[in-house]
Amino acid sequence: MGKILCATRGGEASYRTQDAAIALAQEQDDELLFLYVVDIGFLDKTASAVRPDVVATELENLGQFLLLMAEERAEKHNVRAGHILRHGELRKELKAAAQLPDVTLVVLGRPAGEESAFVPAGLAEFASEIESETGTPVRIV
Amino acid sequence: MAKCRRIRSKRVWLATLILGVISIALVSVPWRQANALASSSRDLAPMPEAQHVSLTGRLVDPTSEPVEGATVILYINGSPVGSGEEGTEIEVESAVDGAFVLDLPQTDLGSVESLTLKISRPHFSSLEWQATEQDLAKINRSESLRLADMTIERRVTPAFWIAALTFVAILTLVALDKLHTTMAALLGVAIILGVSSVGGTVDPDFFVFDFERAIEYVNFDVIFLVMGMMIVIGVIEETGIFQWLAYQAYRLSGGRAWLLVIILMLITAVASALLDNVTTMLLMTPITIQIALAMEVGPLSLLIPEVLASNIGGISTLIGTPTNILIGAYAGLSFNDFLVHLTPGVLLALVVLTGYILLRYRGQFLQRGGKLSETLLERLRESGRITQPDKLRMSGFIFAIMLVLFVLGERIHLAPAVTAIIGAVAMLLWVTPDIESMLKVVDWTTLVFFISLFIVVGAIQEVGVISMIATTIGDLVGDNLTVAILVVVWSSALLSGVIANIPFTAAMLPVIGYLSATIPGASNDVLYYSLSVGSAMGGNGTLIGASANLVTAGIADRAGYRITYASFFKIGFPAMILTVGAGCLWLLLRF
Repeated sequence: MGKILCATRGGEASYRTQDAAIALAQEQDDELLFLYVVDIGFLDKTASAVRPDVVATELENLGQFLLLMAEERAEKHNVRAGHILRHGELRKELKAAAQLPDVTLVVLGRPAGEESAFVPAGLAEFASEIESETGTPVRIV
Repeated sequence: MAKCRRIRSKRVWLATLILGVISIALVSVPWRQANALASSSRDLAPMPEAQHVSLTGRLVDPTSEPVEGATVILYINGSPVGSGEEGTEIEVESAVDGAFVLDLPQTDLGSVESLTLKISRPHFSSLEWQATEQDLAKINRSESLRLADMTIERRVTPAFWIAALTFVAILTLVALDKLHTTMAALLGVAIILGVSSVGGTVDPDFFVFDFERAIEYVNFDVIFLVMGMMIVIGVIEETGIFQWLAYQAYRLSGGRAWLLVIILMLITAVASALLDNVTTMLLMTPITIQIALAMEVGPLSLLIPEVLASNIGGISTLIGTPTNILIGAYAGLSFNDFLVHLTPGVLLALVVLTGYILLRYRGQFLQRGGKLSETLLERLRESGRITQPDKLRMSGFIFAIMLVLFVLGERIHLAPAVTAIIGAVAMLLWVTPDIESMLKVVDWTTLVFFISLFIVVGAIQEVGVISMIATTIGDLVGDNLTVAILVVVWSSALLSGVIANIPFTAAMLPVIGYLSATIPGASNDVLYYSLSVGSAMGGNGTLIGASANLVTAGIADRAGYRITYASFFKIGFPAMILTVGAGCLWLLLRF
C-alpha cells in the first residue's frame, strides 16, 4: 500500500482535485497524503512593514485547518489520510514531497477557471518535470 | 614647644595669606568693576557711528512660496559692489523665507547714480531690478530701502523633464508591478542625483539639486514615526490579539453571517485606526478564511468587506495610514486633529459601507451553515487564542500610554514621532529586551522607500513641477472652496485607484499647501483632510489601490480563493463611490 500525494490549497476549487484523489485512493487502496505549502512570496508586493515570521505562522494555522478539512473529506469516504505542511515555493516543495518514502503517485488538479494555481500548458510540463526529477509518477485529474 | 610655635607661626602665616588674598579680591573686584564701567563708558563714548544702510526684499515663486537659495548680486553705478569694503556683501543668498538683506557700503552713499539687483537661481528665470529716482534719493540720504516682494518666474529646463519623467516612471513601474516600490523609488533617486551631479557640471540646466539639498527634503518626523510604530506593531502582532478578536466575533455572531461581517468590519476599522491596516489584514485574513469555511460562507464575502472597512478606518487617526502620517507631518496636524475632524466622517462612511455590503452579499449571509466537526472547531479555537498573554498585557499597557501621549501630545509639546519612539523603546526594554528583535521588526525596506520618495518628490518640487500643477489646479478651482474640496477628494480618490497613493499624496502635499494659502476659507486645513479622505478611501476602488488589498488577495489566494482585479473592482468600486461620497458630505458639512 503506497501513498498518494495531493497538493491542495483548500479552497472550493481544490475540492474537485481532492475528490479525484480520494477516488483514486479508494480504487488503489492507498493512503492519501495532503500537502499544503506556506508561501509568503506575495509579501514582496507590499511596501508596508510586515513580519514574515508572524505571517508564516498565521498561514501555517490556516494550512492546518485546510488540511484537516481535506482529511475529514477523505475519512468520510473511508480513506485513510494524513498531511504534510511545508514552507517555501510550491513547485519546489511539491517536488521535495514527491521524493518522500512510500509516495507512489502525485495527483495534480487540472486548472478549473481562474482559481487554479497552474495554467493548462504549464501543468503538463510541470508533471513531466516532477516525474523526471523524482521518479514518482504524476496523474493529472 | 618650639615645634608647637613653628606650627602656630605657620598657621598665622597661612591665615594672613588667606586674609590677604580675600582683601585683595574684595578691593580689586570693585576696582575692576569700576574699571570695566569706565572702559565700557569709553566704548560708548561718541565715535563715528556706523550707519547701516540696507536694502531688503523677499523672493517668491508664482505660487507665492518663498524662494530659498537664490543668488542676489548688488551693482552700484554699474559695477559690482564690495571691492575690498570690509563688512559689505556683494552677493547674498535668499533665506528659507525667501528674504535677503544687502548692506550698502558707506563710501558710495551720497554718490549713487544707479543701483541694480541681479537675481538668479537654477530652475528660475533671471530677474533684474533697477532702483527708481526716488529710491536713489533715499539711498543717498542714507535711508534703508524695503522692497516689495519680487516674484521670479519658473523656467522649464532639461532638469524639469528629467525629474518629472522619473517620477512618472516610478509611478508606472509600481502600478504595473514591474518593480518593488522601494526599488523603483531608489532608482528614481539614482537617476535624479546622478544626472544632476554629472550633467549639472556640463550644463547647469541639467542640475536638479545637490545631495545636501536632497536630504533637506527628507521628513525625519515621518521616518521616526513610521519606525517607532513598526516596532510597536511588531511586538503587538505576535500576541495573537487580532486572531482572538476574530474568533470572539465568530462566537458572538452565533452563526449569523450578517452579524459576523458587521463585527469583523468594526474590528478591522478600529484596529486599522490604532495600528495599521496592512498588519490588521495580514493577521485577520487567515482566521477569517477559517471562520468563513467553518460557517460555510464564501470567504471573500467576509474578506472584501473587512479590507474595505480597514482602508476606511485608518483615516480617523494620524497613525492609521501612511498617507495620514505624511499629511500630518507636512501640515502639522496632530493626532487629535484627525480624530476630531475625520472620525465622524469615517463612521458615516462605515455605516454606508455596511448597508452596501449587507445588500450586496444578502444571499450568502442569509444561508445557514452546517455543523463544524469537533476537530475543526478545536483547530479554529487554537488559531483564535492569545498566544502570549504576558506580552499582550505589557504591550497593551505601553500602547495605552502611547495613545494618551498621542492625544495629549500637542499640549505637552510632544511630537507624534517622539511618542512613537518612546513607545518603541519601552516595548524593547520591557517587553522584548533584545536588540535582534528590533532589527527583525523594523522593515528597513519601507524606511528606505520613504527616504527615497521624499527625495524624488523634492526633485519635482525643486524644478517646478509641483508649482505648475498647483497653479493649474488653482486656476481651475478659482476661489471656490467647495469646488476645491470636491476636486481634491475625487481626483485623489480616483487616482489612488490606479497609482500608488503614498507617492501621490507626497507629491500632492505642496499643491494642497498652495491651495490652502490662496483659497479663501481654506486655512482651516480642510483640503488636507480632503486629501486624506480621497487618497485612503480611493484605495478601495481597485485591487492595486491599497497595500491591504494586495496582502488580503495574496493570503486568500494561498487558500484557493482568488481575488482578481475584476472581482475586486465589481465590489470595491461602487463601495468607493459611496464611501467617498459620504466622506465628502461630512467634509462639506463640517467645514
